[in-house]
Amino acid sequence: MNKEELIIETENLQKKYITDTVETTALAGVDLKIKKGEFVAIMGPSGCGKSTLLNILGMLDSPSSGAFRFLGQDISKATERQRAKLRKENLGFVFQSFNLIDELTVEENIALPLAYLGVSKADTEKKAREAMERMGIAHRRNHFPQQLSGGQQQRAAIARATVSNPSLILADEPTGNLDSVHGREVMSLLSELNEAGTTVVMVTHSPSDAEYAHRIVNLFDGQIVTENLNVRRHATELL
Amino acid sequence: MLQNYFKIAIRNIVRNKVYSAINIVGLAIGISACILIFLYVQDELSYESHFDKADRIVRIASEIKNEGQIDRFALSPPVLAPNLIQDFPELEHVTQLLEAQKQTIWYKEKSFNEDNLLYADSSFFDIFNYEFIAGDPGTALHEPNTIVISETMAQKYFGSVDKALGEVLTFNPDLYHVTGVFRDKGHSHIKANAFLARSTFDRQRQDVLTGTNHWFNMNRYTYVLLKDTSQIQPFQDKLKAFVATHVTPWIKENNLNASMTFILQPLSSIHFDTVYRDDITPAGNINYVYIFAAVAVFLLLIASINYMNLTTARSAKRAKEVGLRKVVGAYRSQIISQFMGESLLITLVSVLLALALVQIMIPMFNTFTGKQFESGFFLQKEVLLALLAIVVFIGVVASSYPAIFLSGFKPVDVLKTDKAPKGGNAILRKTLVVVQFAISLIMIIGTIVVFNQMHFLKNRDLGFNKEQVLVIEIPFGDSTLIQQIPGIKHELLSNPNIEQVSNAQDIPAESLNNLLVFAEKDGKTLQNSMNVMFVDYDFIDAMGIELKEGRNYSKDYQTDLKGALVINEAAARKMEWQEPIGKRLELLDRDAKVIGVVKDFNVKSLHTNIEPIILALVLESPGYLLMRIKPQNMASTISFIENKWRSHYPKHPMEYFFMDEFFDKQYRAEEKMLTIFGYFAGLTIFIACLGLFGLASFTAEQRTKEIGIRKVLGSSVSGIVILLSMNFALLVLISIVLAIPIAWYGMNKWLQDFAYRVELSWWIFAVAGLGAMVIALLTISYQALKAAIADPVRALRSE
Repeated sequence: MNKEELIIETENLQKKYITDTVETTALAGVDLKIKKGEFVAIMGPSGCGKSTLLNILGMLDSPSSGAFRFLGQDISKATERQRAKLRKENLGFVFQSFNLIDELTVEENIALPLAYLGVSKADTEKKAREAMERMGIAHRRNHFPQQLSGGQQQRAAIARATVSNPSLILADEPTGNLDSVHGREVMSLLSELNEAGTTVVMVTHSPSDAEYAHRIVNLFDGQIVTENLNVRRHATELL
Repeated sequence: MLQNYFKIAIRNIVRNKVYSAINIVGLAIGISACILIFLYVQDELSYESHFDKADRIVRIASEIKNEGQIDRFALSPPVLAPNLIQDFPELEHVTQLLEAQKQTIWYKEKSFNEDNLLYADSSFFDIFNYEFIAGDPGTALHEPNTIVISETMAQKYFGSVDKALGEVLTFNPDLYHVTGVFRDKGHSHIKANAFLARSTFDRQRQDVLTGTNHWFNMNRYTYVLLKDTSQIQPFQDKLKAFVATHVTPWIKENNLNASMTFILQPLSSIHFDTVYRDDITPAGNINYVYIFAAVAVFLLLIASINYMNLTTARSAKRAKEVGLRKVVGAYRSQIISQFMGESLLITLVSVLLALALVQIMIPMFNTFTGKQFESGFFLQKEVLLALLAIVVFIGVVASSYPAIFLSGFKPVDVLKTDKAPKGGNAILRKTLVVVQFAISLIMIIGTIVVFNQMHFLKNRDLGFNKEQVLVIEIPFGDSTLIQQIPGIKHELLSNPNIEQVSNAQDIPAESLNNLLVFAEKDGKTLQNSMNVMFVDYDFIDAMGIELKEGRNYSKDYQTDLKGALVINEAAARKMEWQEPIGKRLELLDRDAKVIGVVKDFNVKSLHTNIEPIILALVLESPGYLLMRIKPQNMASTISFIENKWRSHYPKHPMEYFFMDEFFDKQYRAEEKMLTIFGYFAGLTIFIACLGLFGLASFTAEQRTKEIGIRKVLGSSVSGIVILLSMNFALLVLISIVLAIPIAWYGMNKWLQDFAYRVELSWWIFAVAGLGAMVIALLTISYQALKAAIADPVRALRSE
């Protein structure tokens, strides 16, 4: 495996939470390598550390020990400000509960990452429109999140996650709050993005969602227990 | 990005109408009160600032120690000025002012009783640069019988400023030529409608001023213009040697057991200097300026606390937004500036609302402060700067805590619904509520104490009866007026509604003559200074002053006019006479015996103790005509008096007032304080309750689930209401405990200003505390009741 191709590389990644007298280990030494362009699903039972891992990979949380390299750069010791910069330039997030800002319209929500990147007004409009069209929600651009169905909200959230053209998308149970029809819709959108070159790392409970990934990482008690290549996906790609 | 913040801010304001209204209304009230008080304070502090050379002008006040008693005068003797000029070549100018009596002035058909007239010399305008609209300040007062009048006075007599110059105003017995008109502008302790050439007075009154070199002859205000400010201290030091050369030999020569000091008062300090008696205008009280400024800051603080509390309490609602912004790459500083921007916006809206409120309140505010603020006031540079300061203060200071708090949210924590923060630091919020209520309570207690004291001041027995006494002023200067007095007195008494009539040169609540007397004591003669009121035979009876021993003046005794004096108990005490009747007392040209002692009575406000007084007999004098009238048919009695006045004095306008109102005018500063305290205590408690209302609704919202569970388990509605109210009641209780000692200390200090004062009884604190508690509980109960009667099933299902 060519090292340059790695987008994420962790070594013995650990995360411990200390509350009063109890020490809880969320991650107990995770070694994970993700190549550019990969679609990885992280699975495992509740409390196994999936979300903690995703948060660390998304630079929303920092590990207690171990190394974490993003695009070859060690960021386990990066400051909050440096991480914020890396986040806005490289990452897109999709959440189970959508997390759209209620006071902003669909279009304004989608344009938000561009605002923090300092993109010009004309470019912002253009990119936001493109993202909305890609996700099929352009007709809802002036609505507020509460006026949308769950599926539409998640499509808006994906539009927001992709509007700045990030190299990595992190999705935390993206279909958890959706019915199966809308869930499949969201999964095919993520697949399309991946096919277009974006790396996707997704935490999920759903085996059917995991089917969209190239590789499935199974986590248990804070450790990777198995890593399987998704044969079907590889097979389709080979066809 | 800014546009994005702005949108969010506006949408948040609109979406949370109640909270926004509490914040905006509270802040607007706080800010408008601040603006009004700022105007007031700025106005009070602006005295003398319109004189270009203000910082180089000093007044020379005098202090005389006489037989262990110290008298401090704003006045100084006439002889001071020529000696200063001679001894101190470094002084640029020296000038003296002399107060003229209130008198009638005629111009053609018009006549007015004119007050605030000052004799000045030509160097006066070299020191004080009045703006002349007509005439030349350099020469205006050179000639005798010239007068420089104010713009207002020119309008009043001549209809316009242009016509004034060269016209002649008739005084009695003099004519004065108008040689200048000055603009009424700025505040000064020198309150003048007109300046008369002092040479006129000096020429006429040479005979009276036997003591032109008499150093204790206090009747001038002496002002000096120094070359620069650094000379003030050296000049003050040199005045000691000056006194040693000029005054001390004179004191020895006259065998006086006294000493004298001259003290420099920088012009800017005169208005608030309460030490010196007989000032041109009564001194202002700087403490009231401080109190009002503190009240304004408190109000603003209370409103800002509401903002801080409601914003942090409701932070859970904004947590998701903050988390998301961070996820997409916002720096913490960007989030802080977003929240600060939001509070700036709210403050800005509040300021606009406050300006509108001020516009509405200005006329009312003018009435109770006696000032004339105009509605366009905020266009001045100072006010705009102050407004900017307010916006920045609230926008930045009040928002910094919520902004820092909110921006500290970790996206990991807040984006998972079950981990949403519980709305900030509850202890800090509770502390701030305690501060708010403590301030409100202090204001309420203050209001009750001031009200109590005012009631006491107005109703206390003064030793004379001030009710139902109508007073007419008899202007000085016209001797024909005096001749008519016996006649008019006689005719007035023919009306059965007029019980008594007296003529006196002095009345209570007016400044009294402080004269040198020589009193017999154990075969020796002691020298003393004493207040003297010149009154007629009827004064003691008409004023309801009680005779303690001896007798009143009587027409049956020919010798009473020059050979008898009546004193009060305090005067007997001061002279240390056990048996005052028959003791010898010399006063001016009288070598008299004490024939009567009256019970003590207050001639001055109850700020001061009863002073020794001599009631000296005069037959007829300018000053006042006092009438005790019956409360029935007052209107017809007054018109009867007016008719009699007109028939006797057709050329003089009649001006009258009532003794009780006149006396109570001495409490105007306190009255003002009462009004401001009253209004502002109401406002503070209102704003504090607004905040409490917001917090109560937040708490109820936050505890919905708990309330639901309690109800399911069988709690009654009243049980829930008590549960929710208890927390807040405890906070109010703590604030009561905190406020009482502070209020007690402050109000006790305030009461020390009065020689006669009310007790700080426990019930004042009890009433205020109970009142605040009831108001707070009523405020909370609405929210508590709403939460308590809600359907528990719905509360639980929503989880």
